[in-house]
Amino acid sequence: MTAEFDAADRPLLEVEDLQIELMTEAGIVRAVDGVSFVIRQGETVTIIGESGSGKSTTAMGILRLLPPELAVLSGTARFQGVDVIADPRAVREVRGRTVSLIPQDPMTALSPVHTIGQQLREAVRLRHRGLSRAETVARSVDLLARMHIPDPASQLGKYPHQLSGGMLQRVLIAIALAGSPVLLVADEPTSALDVTVQAGILGLLLEVQENIGIGILMITHDIGVARLVSDRIHVMKDGRFVESGEAEQIVNAPRDPYTRKLLAAVPRLGPWDEDGESPDAPVALGEPR
Amino acid sequence: MTATTVGPADGSGSGDTAAPAARPSAVTAKDLARSGAVRRRKSARLKIWIGSVGVALVVLPVALAGVLPIPGPDEQSLSLRRLPPLTGGHLFGTDQLGRDLLSRVLHGGQVSLTVGVLAIVVSGIIGLIAGAAAGFFGGWVDTVVSRLLEAQLSLPLLLMLLLVVALFGPSIPVITFVIAFAQWPEVARLTRSLVLVEREKPYVAAARVLGLHRITTLLRHVLPNVVKQASLVILLLLAQAVLLESALSYLGAGPQRPFATWGRIIADGQDYITTSWWLVTLPGLVIVLLVVGVNLLGDGLRDRARRRKGPQTEGKVSRA
Amino acid sequence: MVRYVAQRVGQSILAIFLTVSTVFVLVRLAPGDPAAAYASPLATTAELDRIRAQFGLDKPLIQQYGIFVQDLFHGNLGTSFSFQAPALDVVLSRMPYTIMLAVSAILFAAVVAIPAGVWMARHADTARELGANVAMIAGQSMPEFWSGIMLLTIFAVLVPVLPASGFTSWAGLVLPTVTVGILQIALISRLVRREMGAGFAAPYLTIARARGISERGLTWRYALGNSAVPLVTALGTRFAAMLNGVVVVEVVFAWPGVGSLVVRALETRDYPLIQATVLVTAILTVLVQLLIDLTYPLLDPRVRLGKAVAS
Repeated sequence: MTAEFDAADRPLLEVEDLQIELMTEAGIVRAVDGVSFVIRQGETVTIIGESGSGKSTTAMGILRLLPPELAVLSGTARFQGVDVIADPRAVREVRGRTVSLIPQDPMTALSPVHTIGQQLREAVRLRHRGLSRAETVARSVDLLARMHIPDPASQLGKYPHQLSGGMLQRVLIAIALAGSPVLLVADEPTSALDVTVQAGILGLLLEVQENIGIGILMITHDIGVARLVSDRIHVMKDGRFVESGEAEQIVNAPRDPYTRKLLAAVPRLGPWDEDGESPDAPVALGEPR
Repeated sequence: MTATTVGPADGSGSGDTAAPAARPSAVTAKDLARSGAVRRRKSARLKIWIGSVGVALVVLPVALAGVLPIPGPDEQSLSLRRLPPLTGGHLFGTDQLGRDLLSRVLHGGQVSLTVGVLAIVVSGIIGLIAGAAAGFFGGWVDTVVSRLLEAQLSLPLLLMLLLVVALFGPSIPVITFVIAFAQWPEVARLTRSLVLVEREKPYVAAARVLGLHRITTLLRHVLPNVVKQASLVILLLLAQAVLLESALSYLGAGPQRPFATWGRIIADGQDYITTSWWLVTLPGLVIVLLVVGVNLLGDGLRDRARRRKGPQTEGKVSRA
Repeated sequence: MVRYVAQRVGQSILAIFLTVSTVFVLVRLAPGDPAAAYASPLATTAELDRIRAQFGLDKPLIQQYGIFVQDLFHGNLGTSFSFQAPALDVVLSRMPYTIMLAVSAILFAAVVAIPAGVWMARHADTARELGANVAMIAGQSMPEFWSGIMLLTIFAVLVPVLPASGFTSWAGLVLPTVTVGILQIALISRLVRREMGAGFAAPYLTIARARGISERGLTWRYALGNSAVPLVTALGTRFAAMLNGVVVVEVVFAWPGVGSLVVRALETRDYPLIQATVLVTAILTVLVQLLIDLTYPLLDPRVRLGKAVAS
């Protein structure tokens, strides 16, 4: 599991003035309205925003996973120099090799009628052609082991519906790494998981990043996740970045009012309040304040 | 997401406030024309148009058969036997007994269409009631209806219909009932699944809290929401009813009075196919035109309804 | 999986039971003397009395039902008076021809319709697909007896390439198969198009695409692989519906199967023969559907292995 970094040290991902318009039944919707960002080796860049801000669309858009009959992309998005907006066909070389996707809902992310092993080995074979069956099996088992999946060899024969969400997400990360990518796009990788499992997945991602130096584009709506993994954060609203900066600065000293609202939206534990005396207590209908 | 324009791009940007300069849209007219949304809208409209024309071309003349300036369907004329179309004032030609074929087709069509419409009304009512009851009340009602639906899936339908006609005679009520029997499962199945979805919606619970009797809730609130979609399927069943009726009458089990229907006309003309091709081809084309029209119309209406429900895009685009 | 099998078998038994009961009830509900229905139109009063005694038609309904079911188990479905032979034997002698036609039609239809449906799904919402759609709608709008007569006239009479009727050589199978096949192709291809469309919209497909899997791999392995299950079950229900077309087509081409048998029996009022045909065909259809449904666990691991979640 190695990453083939660029000798010329070009950024892993360079997005400039990306604009994504969707031709929907209700008219043209501008989901992404001019965003720019860069990701370099070993960095984790997070795009944080609420639902509908355009963050997932950005991720799917640069991977050209939006249906061409729906989305029109403009601007530039370069993966180690390859601009996939100028040349849509080039993305096929990039997907699975230079960059891999980690999806949001692990339960629906794999084909239900194929085994884990079949899908993992397929990903291995895509990158490393000419391997014998035994070699692909060995690599697959190795990948699963690095994801700290217990008894990896026996998992190969199982079907997706037989594994829990957390295990499936680890399998998906393994599949993503099978192609030896230099960049991972993680689209809300923990949103569909239980809280107790989330930390494990995030920890795994950080561990992988430390071991092989890949870059991570993290998409999330969760401040906690952003705080934990990011080097730099972009706050997205209505298709634009309202604030960008180093993780520490955004979290501790946000400048934009929207960012501040976003950070403040974490429920705080106040004093225990049975008698309604705290100023934060809700007022019953009809009673004077 | 910023909805900056509604409708085709004008290239000049948005009507949106804020400081950053409005960016021009990159959506070209060509993109738009090729977009899924526009294509689907166009194809739905085309289907509805062509379908309506096809249906009208058949239904209107049939409905007006009595007043059109054509000979009666039973007027025989031994000297004018088997005339080809467009001779002697006979648009469709004449059959082996000298009867005007167009007149036979139109008058027979009145019976065929009456049977078809009656059948879908009957199957529609039975299917709606059974499906709604099964979906809404659940329990043993649902079990019974569902088992009946499943069992009927494996019945050799045409054979059973022939059996019934053999026993009870080929009268219009019998044929209507028999076709309705063939069709109620499809209506019931759809209604049931629609009602199952409606049942979970908040207004049903609200109605119960307000003290409304369950049957009232079903009849006055749930059913109207469901009827529109169900009636689309019922419309499409008209095509199937016409085909089934014509098959029955071809086999000799169709209504004989007051007029022979389309299947029978084709069966009568079968022996003369090589010398008088129009006796079989033209009535068949009328059936095809009607059924294609109904199918296209129903398809187009269904496409349009599906679009209104909301676009389904790949992946998770709709989230952010 | 055991539960699934048990459920399906139970359903099949219920379906057969309902058909048998319906047939039983129908003849007793019909106007006229049931004995006259079972006897030939030329029966004497003595024969009518004998038949009445044989089927217990003067006994209470429950007992009659018992006799009916018992006769069924013993393979006694009455005597066809137009053939002067046990009805069951007559039906069984002609059933293989019907099965031959049905199987040949469904194979022909599947071979054409599945690639056609996949093609339509890949080119969804294009002008080409709209054209294909309209062609399929035309295909399902033609009455089978009519398209049969047309095909027969063109290919057997005007351009005598193929035999017009009967089953004298294998070539005689072609036109009936194509006639039945047209409607099935139209319906099956639209079904495949729908299922594949749903398959293409599934999340795992987008994510597989993100892995760099080729479009061809996505179509055939992922989309079609996952559509196999609903497709197969749909094909099972098609079988019963297809029999309607087979009956009519047999008449058009004088194909020696049970369809043309029934129509002849209608003309001669040979009720025992009609009843026997209905019962045998119903049982056959139920069995075919049961067999097809039992392949379901083979195709869908979720049914085969149950929904246990291990960790």
